[in-house]
Amino acid sequence: MTDDDIIICRCEDITLRQIRELIAQGYHTIDEIKRVSRAGMGPCQGRTCRQLIARELAGALGVPIEQVEMPTFRPPSRPVLLSTIARGEADE
Amino acid sequence: MVRLKEHPILDFPPGREVAFTFNGKEIRGVEGEPIAAALHAAGVRVLRHSPVLGRARGFFCAIGTCSSCLMTVDGVPNVRVCTEPLTQGMVIETQKGHGHLPID
Amino acid sequence: MKEVDIAVIGAGPAGLSAALACGKSGATTLLIDFMDAPGGQLIKQTHKFFGSERQFAGTRGIQIPSIFINQLSQMPNVQLVLGVNASGYYADSGVLTLEDGGKFIKVKAKRVIIATGAGEKALAFENNDLPGVYGAGAVQTLMNAYGVKPGNRVLMVGSGNIGLIVSYQLIQAHVQVVSLVEAAGRIGGYLVHAAKLRRAGVPILTSHTIVRAIGEETVRGAVVAQVDQSWQAVPGSQREVACDVICLAVGLTPLVDMMWQAGCEMKYVPALGGHVPVRDENMRASNPAVYVAGDAGGVEEASSAMISGEIAGISAAVSLGFRAQDADARLALLKSDLAAIRSAPAGEKIRAGIMSAMACGGER
Repeated sequence: MTDDDIIICRCEDITLRQIRELIAQGYHTIDEIKRVSRAGMGPCQGRTCRQLIARELAGALGVPIEQVEMPTFRPPSRPVLLSTIARGEADE
Repeated sequence: MVRLKEHPILDFPPGREVAFTFNGKEIRGVEGEPIAAALHAAGVRVLRHSPVLGRARGFFCAIGTCSSCLMTVDGVPNVRVCTEPLTQGMVIETQKGHGHLPID
Repeated sequence: MKEVDIAVIGAGPAGLSAALACGKSGATTLLIDFMDAPGGQLIKQTHKFFGSERQFAGTRGIQIPSIFINQLSQMPNVQLVLGVNASGYYADSGVLTLEDGGKFIKVKAKRVIIATGAGEKALAFENNDLPGVYGAGAVQTLMNAYGVKPGNRVLMVGSGNIGLIVSYQLIQAHVQVVSLVEAAGRIGGYLVHAAKLRRAGVPILTSHTIVRAIGEETVRGAVVAQVDQSWQAVPGSQREVACDVICLAVGLTPLVDMMWQAGCEMKYVPALGGHVPVRDENMRASNPAVYVAGDAGGVEEASSAMISGEIAGISAAVSLGFRAQDADARLALLKSDLAAIRSAPAGEKIRAGIMSAMACGGER
């Protein structure tokens, strides 16, 4: 295993090499990387990898981290079973 | 000795011992502690294998934030065992990949 | 749909304190936590708190949750729901969605206090996902809350206060700390903690980092190396350390998903651990229905979390017309307590970070 095989997104098993390749291909925001690779779309919703990807983007683009655009956050912020939502709102 | 018995500050009052199975093997733990704590005390480190690369994963954040400890509990996959309390008779299995939902 | 005046998300030090303030004001209050026991990360804080009596000086962190719960349980206008996930906040309607053991619940809250705390930062190195690589908070929880030893030989990564304190607590639990590595050129946390480790014989290696975890299915060692000023490993400096746990204490970052969902203006403030909501001195975010409390607004520690929680609680209640008799005096006192906590030399970065988070953005 080399540096490039470092796991960045644990949920989807995305490596540092894959992230670097995507950046080289022109995917320059966290959202773009997420949409093509699923990094950050797993059960943890990017809580582990988001900051690592932001740092990698900042380094590659030569900008401070605060200029790396954050992705959109939508509910549910924690996994919910589809059956729970399908049953609808519970009675009090 | 994995369970702390003597500690300069803390007391660990003996909780109610319960039996559960891990991959078919019977193990004992303390009722109400997170499943991951019971497994760790029993020497279990590998909790799942990751979905794409099949890498071994274990306990990591302990606050239900990451996805490292997802296991199949009583047939239901993707349970975060670092926060899920242990109960008597639980059937716990290492999870491979995304897991399969029981169809009822 | 359930309706409440104020919903508090997270029952750690900030959320408990916020809910108590809301309760005292008379507002109907719902306190929500996904864990089955309240207290958040207080459950593993074995040290005695310092500061003033108002911040439980002399009391151990692990004893604090029950003090709050005893008071909250006397309040008919406060409801505590545990084991419940707050899964979403819909800013247009002020509706929170909760999930309780397979039940989907909606709550309309006039104000929401977000006290979701912080999560551990990750570090990119080879095999960082190997079982045995644990967050420092996780090691502390395993050991202090559940009495389970994380392993026998620990490599600690990071010399901030968490890295130093968890190392010392490991030694208290008869676990060997084989070494502590710190990438920076100097120790990050208080020297009083570092001195305890030195006395216990733990080598503290500054300008060193972890390069790789070794092991097939579980950790059996690590490779550490010296780093130069641009954080690159110095050739030839790599060496192997035998250990069965690698403990990552590389900092915390606020858990702010709900505030993004709420459309709050956010700002990246490194001194506070990452993105935090822009807020005023009463902890109100740019979405006027949202308040933030504790580490979710910037990583500090439990004493300041309890204070910012109470400030948020009083302020949210006052904004709805629920004003306890001493509200103004209490707010002034709390703000001075918070300033005092941050006044130590070590609080300089935090102070600058808070100033940055309170600076109004262009659109406000």
